Amino acid sequence: MSSRPSLGTEVRNVAIVAVVFALAPLAVLGSSYYESVLAHLLLIALFAVALNIVFGHTDQLFLFMGGLAGFGAYTTAILADALAISAWVTLPVAALACGLIGLLVSYVSAKRNFTVVLISILTLNLQLVFSEIFVGARGITGGSTGFPYEYFGLEVVADAVGIETKLVLYYLVLLLLVATLGFYLRLVHSKYGIAFDAIREDEVAAESIGIDVVRYKTIAGFVAAFLIGLVGAFFARESGYILPGGFTFIAVDVIVLIVLVVGGLRTTMGPIVGATIIVGIEEFLSSAQSLQTWRSAIFGALLIVLFLYFRQGVVRSARDVLSDLGLTDEPEGGGTDVESR
Amino acid sequence: MVTASTLLGVAMDGLAFGVFLALLGVGITLVFGLGEVLNLAIGTFAVLAVLVATLVVNSGMGLVVAGAVALVVVALFGLVVDRTILSLVYRSDGEERILLGIFTTLGLTVFLDGVLINYFPSRYTLPLDVGTVSVGGATLTGSSLIIVAIGTVVLAVLFGFLRGTFLGKATRTVFQDERGARLVGVNPRRIRTLIFVLSAAVAGLGGLVFAAGSAVAVSNGFEFTTFALIISIVGGVRSLVGAISAGVFLGLVNQFANFFVGSYVATIILFATAIVVLLARPEAIS
Repeated sequence: MSSRPSLGTEVRNVAIVAVVFALAPLAVLGSSYYESVLAHLLLIALFAVALNIVFGHTDQLFLFMGGLAGFGAYTTAILADALAISAWVTLPVAALACGLIGLLVSYVSAKRNFTVVLISILTLNLQLVFSEIFVGARGITGGSTGFPYEYFGLEVVADAVGIETKLVLYYLVLLLLVATLGFYLRLVHSKYGIAFDAIREDEVAAESIGIDVVRYKTIAGFVAAFLIGLVGAFFARESGYILPGGFTFIAVDVIVLIVLVVGGLRTTMGPIVGATIIVGIEEFLSSAQSLQTWRSAIFGALLIVLFLYFRQGVVRSARDVLSDLGLTDEPEGGGTDVESR
Repeated sequence: MVTASTLLGVAMDGLAFGVFLALLGVGITLVFGLGEVLNLAIGTFAVLAVLVATLVVNSGMGLVVAGAVALVVVALFGLVVDRTILSLVYRSDGEERILLGIFTTLGLTVFLDGVLINYFPSRYTLPLDVGTVSVGGATLTGSSLIIVAIGTVVLAVLFGFLRGTFLGKATRTVFQDERGARLVGVNPRRIRTLIFVLSAAVAGLGGLVFAAGSAVAVSNGFEFTTFALIISIVGGVRSLVGAISAGVFLGLVNQFANFFVGSYVATIILFATAIVVLLARPEAIS
């Protein structure tokens, strides 16, 4: 596998993504449907960045992203309503609560030397508990009928600037994505990134040279879960209505896994490339009536084929092709401060 | 106040649910113990059996014929999956094989659900129509009695196969030591195919048993898989006896919790048990 590009190249790539997506709403000519699709794309990419940190970099397969996202979304709304305060105040609280759940799961798993399979089964079970609670605790969550999700007072901004509420949300999510990618780059190009790589290569060896494996895994778990909880609230805000069905294993985790693997594990651009491809496929399928009912079947087949034959992802394949053609501006073997396998 | 006879009825239904859980648990345990593949499509196999049986019943055949046809179809389907997807998975080994197994069988579940929902959009049931039986003042569901009887026989036969026959012994050899098995002339790949087909049929039977009491929809597949996972966690993922006792135990717990505190809390108790066991003794499953 090729190594990670230099920090400079990666920052440039993120800047390009920021500009492209900032201009993207112009291309859809004010169609509010496509603005929703774009916002959805960015939200999925954000989930994939979180999974990339915890699964890609530290091999902890979190299969309760839907549950965490739902927990973040429900907690934000329920607290805001109960205390009659702005959702902007309750959002960090909810995200922190999600982060602490992730921290706990990672800490216990790392302490007890859980294998990746054990973590995945543990988190899958937690996911199902979350799903049960979202549906079952009718008194608090509204059960399977849900409730309208119109928090964050985006209409105020929309009126003040003179654009649609949907666009306000879109740019907010874009800002969050760019900030998250910036944070991600800082993370993997720091001692954390080196420690993550060492742990992934060989946990015992990493431990022996003084890397605190439990600490790093716990940090990764916290960061990812915090981010998932945060994004979850915007995920619900984007649909304008919250339903337990939006946060199931099949609806969130499976899609995000596919996105991350299509794009490329442990790459900065992978989540965005993957989200673009998968949301693109989704849109193509829903544009044709006859294909719409086959959506799930196609994604299932995609999951099988991808994992059997295409685990390196689009980003790395594209990079390999470019460097084979001599089209890349990366100096050969240079500029890489973090080697990845 | 709840009478003792009502409790007996609940216990019988719980036992029947336990048989269903045990069958699924055995299905997932056999395959994982033998080839480190956690078959996340097992619930869908169970659903597939119900759908095939429904088709046969609708074409005018009896329930027994329908059940037999369904099991054969599911077993054949298991054979196809083993020869195609799993052959590719077995090429890798260690942690990578486990991960690949998880992802490909997960993909298979999503794929099959997506295909089947197009043809089977509603809920299906295979009622046994045997009414109720009165035993010492307690009213027992007839279908529950039959399910428990079938389950006991099938599980006993399975044990007899693994303990008594040459093939069964070869299977247990691979369970214990793959290299040792190879040295004495047992082909692990062949045994894996056999066991995967067997586990598919066992899971199929689980589905049929469940459908005798409740309606099954395509979307239940993944739920069944999670039940199977819970059983294998609680019973230990390599232990058949563990899977059976965990199945029966949790079946009873679930039915009583259902009766006293409602189904939503009952399901959470089921998952919570799995999480507690997982945290208390993770070595049972790795």
